[in-house]
Amino acid sequence: MSRKNFLTDLKAYGISNLFAVGIIGINKYFIVDTHANADDIFVFSEFIITPMLMGIISAWFWRYSDLSSRGLTGKSFLNGCITIVLASGFLGEGFICLIIVSPLLFGSIIVGAFIGRAMFRRNNNTLNISIVGLTLVVFAADSLSEHHYENMVSDTIIVNAPPQQVWKNVVAFKRIKEKNKFWLFKIGMPSPVESTVEGYYLGAKRKCIFSNGYTFDEKIVTYDENKNLTFAITNQPRDPEIMGHIDIEQGQFLLKDNGDGTTTLVGNSWYKLYVFPTWYYDTWAQSITHNVHLRVMEHIKELSEVK
Amino acid sequence: MFTFVTQYLSFLKLVPTMSWLFDGLLKLWAYFAKPVLLDWMDEIEAEVLQWQYTTSGIHKYGGMQFNYQGKEIGHIHSNGLLDMLLSRSVKAQLMQDGRISGHHTFKNTGWISFYICDIKEKDYALKLLRKGYERLVK
Repeated sequence: MSRKNFLTDLKAYGISNLFAVGIIGINKYFIVDTHANADDIFVFSEFIITPMLMGIISAWFWRYSDLSSRGLTGKSFLNGCITIVLASGFLGEGFICLIIVSPLLFGSIIVGAFIGRAMFRRNNNTLNISIVGLTLVVFAADSLSEHHYENMVSDTIIVNAPPQQVWKNVVAFKRIKEKNKFWLFKIGMPSPVESTVEGYYLGAKRKCIFSNGYTFDEKIVTYDENKNLTFAITNQPRDPEIMGHIDIEQGQFLLKDNGDGTTTLVGNSWYKLYVFPTWYYDTWAQSITHNVHLRVMEHIKELSEVK
Repeated sequence: MFTFVTQYLSFLKLVPTMSWLFDGLLKLWAYFAKPVLLDWMDEIEAEVLQWQYTTSGIHKYGGMQFNYQGKEIGHIHSNGLLDMLLSRSVKAQLMQDGRISGHHTFKNTGWISFYICDIKEKDYALKLLRKGYERLVK
């Protein structure tokens, strides 16, 4: 690689990433916050529009390089890797978080680079300014819009034991020794391992302990023995892996006596997301919550079915 | 994967930028799994742009689009899938040869789909695009 090409690449990577760091920093001042966690909200524009603009900016530096599609894709991939390293450093994002966000980043940077290449080949300044201007308008509109998203995930399993036997394991359970099956848990995402409770009554404090030692503090808000255990999350760890991007608000176990010695166990969780677009992040949130449920509920099933 | 997405998740193309994003990821897949595909797309683009009054751009659902005086000749998604419009009679004739298939979404139209998997198929894709071009020139 010639010195000139090296400097061009350095500018393309440097300026586009500097732009991203700057715009995300500025954006924090403009996000309309109707909730407590303003600093934790990351909007659609930060994950899609910003990387696209990064791609366009880098394509501007490469406009005389006559890059092939293979070359442009490879350089855009490298640009995305630099962004991920910076996100880890500046935003303190964890490894799992970066895995989750990387398809959006890589895809958007590559798309932006190809849009940029098409723009600068045509060399129509009016059109180019219009495109960049339009994306900035979308960015501003998105940042100034209210962002609020809540959802609930529900899972059901059948336990071959009566509700009376299941109930005690629902309120609190011994440490889970079963190996993780979910791929994100296998690569380091904290998974639930134990639940403790100070007593079997309404208002009792409960703790849900995760594999990395983090603890969710909970309070029982509905205690309908053998039927309904609902708990509010009173305090949750600020784990860089997922916390700050999602708040679990409430959990619930519903038990239904099937009348044949078995119990239908329903696990519900309510959560609030702070990362957008939800069509992307809620898919992950649902999958993770579903796997948290299953890990706990299958353990409860195993404990309850021991004769 | 592409077939699964177009069959079951095609509604996602209504989400702004989603299809472009998907195509960007297809490019990344091609870069690691089959980088020569990206070179073939460049070669096809270079050849088509030699034809009079043609331009290339980005297709609304992602991929490289070729136009003749603003009208679409066809487009190639970044997994090497060429989609283009021919007359129904030409489509029927080509279908008999067994090299092309009906469009992955628009059935019972002149739209066709053709996967570029090797260099011969790249040349055949160029022939198809030429047919599409000549259809528009007439």
